[in-house]
Amino acid sequence: MRVSLQPAYLLHSRPYRDSSLLLDMFTAEHGRVSLIGRGAQRRSRGGSQAALLQPFRPLLVSFAGRAEQKPLLAVEAAGALPALRAERLFSGLYLNELLVRLLQRHDPQQPLFALYGATLECLATKPVVDADLRRFEFGLLDALGYGFDPAHDGHSGLPVAQNGWYQYQAEFGLVACDTAAVASGARFAGGDLLGIAAGHYEGEYGAAAKRLLRQALASHLGERPLHSRELFRQFRNAGRQQ
Amino acid sequence: MKFSPALGQLIDALRCLPGVGPKSAQRMSMHLLERDRAGALALAEALRVAMDRIDHCTQCRNFSELDVCEICVDPRRDRQTICVLETPADVLAVEQSGSYRGLYFVLMGHLSPIDGIGPAEIGLDKFQARVIDEGITEVILATNPTVEGEATAYYLSDMLLPRGIRVSRIAHGVPLGGELEYVDGNTLAHAFTGRRQLSGGA
Repeated sequence: MRVSLQPAYLLHSRPYRDSSLLLDMFTAEHGRVSLIGRGAQRRSRGGSQAALLQPFRPLLVSFAGRAEQKPLLAVEAAGALPALRAERLFSGLYLNELLVRLLQRHDPQQPLFALYGATLECLATKPVVDADLRRFEFGLLDALGYGFDPAHDGHSGLPVAQNGWYQYQAEFGLVACDTAAVASGARFAGGDLLGIAAGHYEGEYGAAAKRLLRQALASHLGERPLHSRELFRQFRNAGRQQ
Repeated sequence: MKFSPALGQLIDALRCLPGVGPKSAQRMSMHLLERDRAGALALAEALRVAMDRIDHCTQCRNFSELDVCEICVDPRRDRQTICVLETPADVLAVEQSGSYRGLYFVLMGHLSPIDGIGPAEIGLDKFQARVIDEGITEVILATNPTVEGEATAYYLSDMLLPRGIRVSRIAHGVPLGGELEYVDGNTLAHAFTGRRQLSGGA
């Protein structure tokens, strides 16, 4: 199998042997694949491959072979590196960590690929990106088959009531719950859910949307915490102490 | 042909070196046994001594046999300036350029959430304490111009700037003797945003 000039993003790279790189790439038509960039860091090639192979940059990659780790044959830039600055770098690393942790290899995810590119663009240009991050998280859950509708009770199928209380369950989505039995941090007000379902991920619904997606993602991420989220938290705390 | 166990072991052990595969390991072993037994013993001794004695300098985290390395105790160095680097190899590169006379701090890596490397793993808490205790006035961030290197530099600048410490980032641009035609677009963009005004007479 030979794939030519496939649109792709680098999610993560690791040095391998002398001057090679192990690359975890997210491609448009082949999903997440792992490639070996032989001699990518070699100086005689001007280190040009290693310089191109940076996260967040739109790339065109060619690879071949049937092995689990395919050799990277060629790489070209498909566009400029989105200018992620300051905190946005951490947000970008968060997106990459989510994809590395949750995406299966060789599972084509074209809509998610497009959404990832658009989200990076937002991270580079918009002053506030909370809504874009939430949209990406919803898109990721949909792509994985764990999507849910915040406006309907996953158990009964009834629409969410404005005054009701609901909790998230990985198998069903949102399920009506008893306020006495579930702690306030684990339940969601019907009004907030209706706002989220209408696409309001910022402002008054922002905190609820963040909490809901964090719980939904946590149930699929398993025990290991997300390091990028921890990094961001430490970063915020360090800022507050001063 | 089957090797004797000791020879097999030697060949396997040599393969831990970067760039040494089974064939080169075999050639090295044969060479040492046939022609240079004294050299082999010296190598074994040097390896043992190095592994026993070399640890990290308690101040800059660079490799050192002493508690505090030579650079850190050198009285001729500027003790107000500290340069943050990713690896000991970077220290060598800067030292050889002869362009810097201050102190160093070696992170031994960079922030990389996917690999589980956070601020504590690269000693940033220790670095912050050091900057405050020693009254450092300028910090030069010389992490690599990669995404992780930039994230590390940003984390550090955010940690130090509110304390009134001067923080600078090394310039990125066109290499000396390079030609603009062959420089990649991002480097060129950096070179343009970081351009320097020429003063009269320069």
